[in-house]
Amino acid sequence: MEAQWGQPLNKDSHSAVAVALDAAERHGADGESTRGFKPSWELAAVAALIVIGVLALPWLKPGYRTLSFALTTGVTAIVLYGMAIPFGQAGIMSLGYAGLMGFGAYTAAILSRDFGMNMWQAMPFSAIVAAVFAGLFGLPSLRISGHHFAITTYVMCELLRIVLTNGGKFTGAATGLDLPPIGTVLGINMDKLANAYLLVAVFMLASILVAYLIGRSSYGRTLRSIRENEQLARSVGINTNLHKVVAFMVSGLFAGVGGNLQAYNYRHISPDLYGGSISLNFALMVMLGGARTIFGPLTGAVIVTFLPEVMRIDPVDSRIAYGLALIAVIMLLPGGVIAVTERVYRRLTETVIATRRVGPSHAGSSSARGD
Amino acid sequence: MVTFIQELVNSLSVASVIILMGIGVTLIFGLTGIINFAHGEFLMLGGIGVWVLVSNGLGYIPALLISVALVGLLGFLLERGLFQFTLLRPNNGFMASLGLSIVLQHVVIRIWNSFSKSIPEPLPGVWEIGQIRFIKMRVVVVVVTAIVVAVTFFTISRSRYGLALRASLADRQTAALMGIPIRRYITVIFAYGSAIAGLGGALTIALFPITPFVGSEMIMLGFAVSLIAGLGNVAGVVGAGLILGLVNGMSGAYGTPEWTNAYSFGLMIVILIFRPQGLFGGTMGPAIE
Repeated sequence: MEAQWGQPLNKDSHSAVAVALDAAERHGADGESTRGFKPSWELAAVAALIVIGVLALPWLKPGYRTLSFALTTGVTAIVLYGMAIPFGQAGIMSLGYAGLMGFGAYTAAILSRDFGMNMWQAMPFSAIVAAVFAGLFGLPSLRISGHHFAITTYVMCELLRIVLTNGGKFTGAATGLDLPPIGTVLGINMDKLANAYLLVAVFMLASILVAYLIGRSSYGRTLRSIRENEQLARSVGINTNLHKVVAFMVSGLFAGVGGNLQAYNYRHISPDLYGGSISLNFALMVMLGGARTIFGPLTGAVIVTFLPEVMRIDPVDSRIAYGLALIAVIMLLPGGVIAVTERVYRRLTETVIATRRVGPSHAGSSSARGD
Repeated sequence: MVTFIQELVNSLSVASVIILMGIGVTLIFGLTGIINFAHGEFLMLGGIGVWVLVSNGLGYIPALLISVALVGLLGFLLERGLFQFTLLRPNNGFMASLGLSIVLQHVVIRIWNSFSKSIPEPLPGVWEIGQIRFIKMRVVVVVVTAIVVAVTFFTISRSRYGLALRASLADRQTAALMGIPIRRYITVIFAYGSAIAGLGGALTIALFPITPFVGSEMIMLGFAVSLIAGLGNVAGVVGAGLILGLVNGMSGAYGTPEWTNAYSFGLMIVILIFRPQGLFGGTMGPAIE
């Protein structure tokens, strides 16, 4: 079966497989859509279900633990939707998002401590500081591409963690910083977990909407042109360098807001919340759900946050099971959970349409062919 | 001055372990495109393997050989069973390796525990030349590393197989058409890189105690070294490994150990920005995006 030295290539040889796979990849055989988010009634229906589900959760009496996990998921999802802009649209993976979230969180904590600002006053600052650093984190992408860049941003995140840990009194060193409670918003007491959750949920839904609108806009198309063929994009006059940095800065706004919300909800932040391993977890969530789909990041966040919780076994066993589940999902569902679900759904609906068209007498054969 | 030279000598053994890590990363990442975050876990397993065998009464050298062989075998099985399916989707391979890293770490914790493990010094004693003290085991580590580096370097740059390997890196499709069994090469490289990481672990545990978490720190140094050197550049890894080893040793000796990794990482970022192809010139990885 194996091609030997100098022997002509036969159909079954490993090298032939490599060539074929290479060629297939070039023609986009993975079946992922290169278009933006396409509106359809299915999308609207799913969106409505998600909005209702997310907002109705506190009334389903989920228990304190589940609700606080949901809150964490919401905060994380905000950051993930930011991350999905450069990653999903422009195709640049950055592993710096935990760090950017950290900029948002530490900005909030330091402004509260030194200037007595509350959450709302600090939020624009959190967002801007994170956006500026997102731009800085993104700058190497003009020189380095692909996984080199991903590793560089991971390392930047680790650098930040070391700086925060050794920052002395200013950053609270390894113990971190404390924050005051959110207080009341529009007369609603945010000390109650359900209310705090709803606040985060509203921010999360808004961030999904913004990410959707960016994906739909001509700006989203510009970013996708960078992903598909950067040289071509440049040759038709798109300033790819500028757009990359701007995409990172926009995503930094999300991370900053997420960091601010996280800081005020946890009421205590420490450097370990913003290290490289947390960033890796974020990347995992986005890829698991699918960066190019509108509900992918949310799905990824829900799965990764709740999976260890659902498998309530010994913590070490649970980590092993989590790792194995992760490998299984990645190997079996490339392109993300949502992309695969979409494909299955499309195939099912196509079968139904085919059945209707052909008529009941041929239904059996056509549905068999349609899987 | 004596202290400085002493620190220089001590840094060499740290540099050796980093170099062994970096060679594996540079070969696997640079030549096959697989980004294996679990590579650090191979180092950890190499060390744990030696610890288990030595605790059960085996000598250090047979324990080392068995442990390295087992880690190489594990690498082979993982490439065949897992990573070969991700060759065209490096992002998926990267994520799967994250999962794998979690699994390997916690399997070790599950079977034994998460405490640090050490073995009695296999080769106690020091050599003294002038005022400089050479701890014997550290010298052995440096010598073994030098041999591994030399063998790897000459295989890749001088042999027929190395030539085929570099050809498949330059243009995978054409190389495949020339009849080079690329998939088999990838498997061999992966198993070899894993075994070298295992060797790194087996040597490390002769010097320092190791914990099941040592891998996550080492993998970053491995990436740093191979990217600073230039991906796929084995000789460059030696240069970069010596630089990082020195940075490690010196920052430890002169008072700021808590910033050690920051220096290494900062250096890596600066070098990558000004020389994306690495300090000594390398590739940007095989052409599969």
